[in-house]
Amino acid sequence: MDFLDEIEATVPALRRYARALTRNADRADDLVQDCLERAIRKRNLFTPTGPVQAWLFRILINIWRNDLRFERRRGDQIPIDSLIAEPSVAPAQPGRIALSEMSRAIDRLPDDQREALLLVVLEGLSYHEAASALGIPDGTLMSRLGRARATLRMSTGTADEPRLRSIK
Amino acid sequence: MTNAAPISETDLHALVDDQLTPERAAEVEAWLAGRPDKAAEIANWRRQNEALDALFGPVASEAVPTRLDPHLMARSPARPRIAWTRLAAAAVVLLAIGGGIGWFGRSYTLPSSSDELITAAIEAHALYVREKRHAVEVAASDRDHLVSWLSNRVERPITPPDLAADGFNLVGGRLLPGYEDATNGPAAQLMYENAAAERVTVFITAALDDRSSTYEFLTRKALDAFYWANDRITCTVVGDLPEDQMKAVARKVYQQLTWRPDGGGA
Repeated sequence: MDFLDEIEATVPALRRYARALTRNADRADDLVQDCLERAIRKRNLFTPTGPVQAWLFRILINIWRNDLRFERRRGDQIPIDSLIAEPSVAPAQPGRIALSEMSRAIDRLPDDQREALLLVVLEGLSYHEAASALGIPDGTLMSRLGRARATLRMSTGTADEPRLRSIK
Repeated sequence: MTNAAPISETDLHALVDDQLTPERAAEVEAWLAGRPDKAAEIANWRRQNEALDALFGPVASEAVPTRLDPHLMARSPARPRIAWTRLAAAAVVLLAIGGGIGWFGRSYTLPSSSDELITAAIEAHALYVREKRHAVEVAASDRDHLVSWLSNRVERPITPPDLAADGFNLVGGRLLPGYEDATNGPAAQLMYENAAAERVTVFITAALDDRSSTYEFLTRKALDAFYWANDRITCTVVGDLPEDQMKAVARKVYQQLTWRPDGGGA
């Protein structure tokens, strides 16, 4: 089945994106499962004007936003995996951003900036695809991307020169 | 850069995101060569990209669990989703104890009656919308009986709204308990379906004690619920259509159930 094959090919990317959004492996896979089930159920609503991939990201993001809205209303605390724990990650090399530092910086980004940045950087969507997956105009995507990068630069490097980390 | 187009912020982002043609990328690089401040910023952006990739990139190479195999999922459409399992289990408990303490309401110190009703409507939707043969107790083909039976039990005239213009036809309805402290009696659930087999349910009870008018549109898990109440009935429309479509359907239901002094009585 063509459609299902296309979905299948996107699953690794969806898992990666969901992991980066949720920071929790089980929760990320739950999110992907919800997304796939909805996509399979609503396949007849999909009009192939664009790639299946962007449509799947859009579904996933909508479900994630709904979850967040619901949980924040209830005041739930979502456990964050210690997957980013130091030992599992290579120490920062000179001229690189320490991963633990980056990990914390990402967490502090506003949701909309995080969603946009990860779609572009991690998933390699074109600006137009990313904007349509987020349901926003291209210009809005660019300004979110710009703000995300400026914020991350503040927290991972100094204004005039990137902070160099020699050895951990 | 003699006659090249001016370099924009978008060009700078596109440079680090590999979204430029090689020619344009060369122009942007040349432009940056004379601007060390900007170049340092771009270098930082590149390091951000590398760090993100190092943090999360490996997830895409992990083995995918079988529960995320779309082929298997498509072959067993009846298998409940995790979220559904939770909802359905909660619904069974709720039905068994007649409403009990709302699963969704557990974090509220004092769940409001309308909140309990919305919860009941969402759980009933989740429970029955997946049913094929037993989706309803009385089918739409037996419409007269459906209308008189539900109207008698809910003690309000219940005329199923006509949603044909939105592609939804009445499947039928069933009677359900309201919730534990319900002084407003049982609920009628009407189910609608469109050609794409998407279903919407309408959950109607007699008015709450306070008879206040209110309305609310909210989303729980992947389901949207549109709730309103007036001095005669409460009504919750539940579904997971795209938002615009959901709102259009909810509006139709609202109009037909509220503005009909002779038929709807609500």
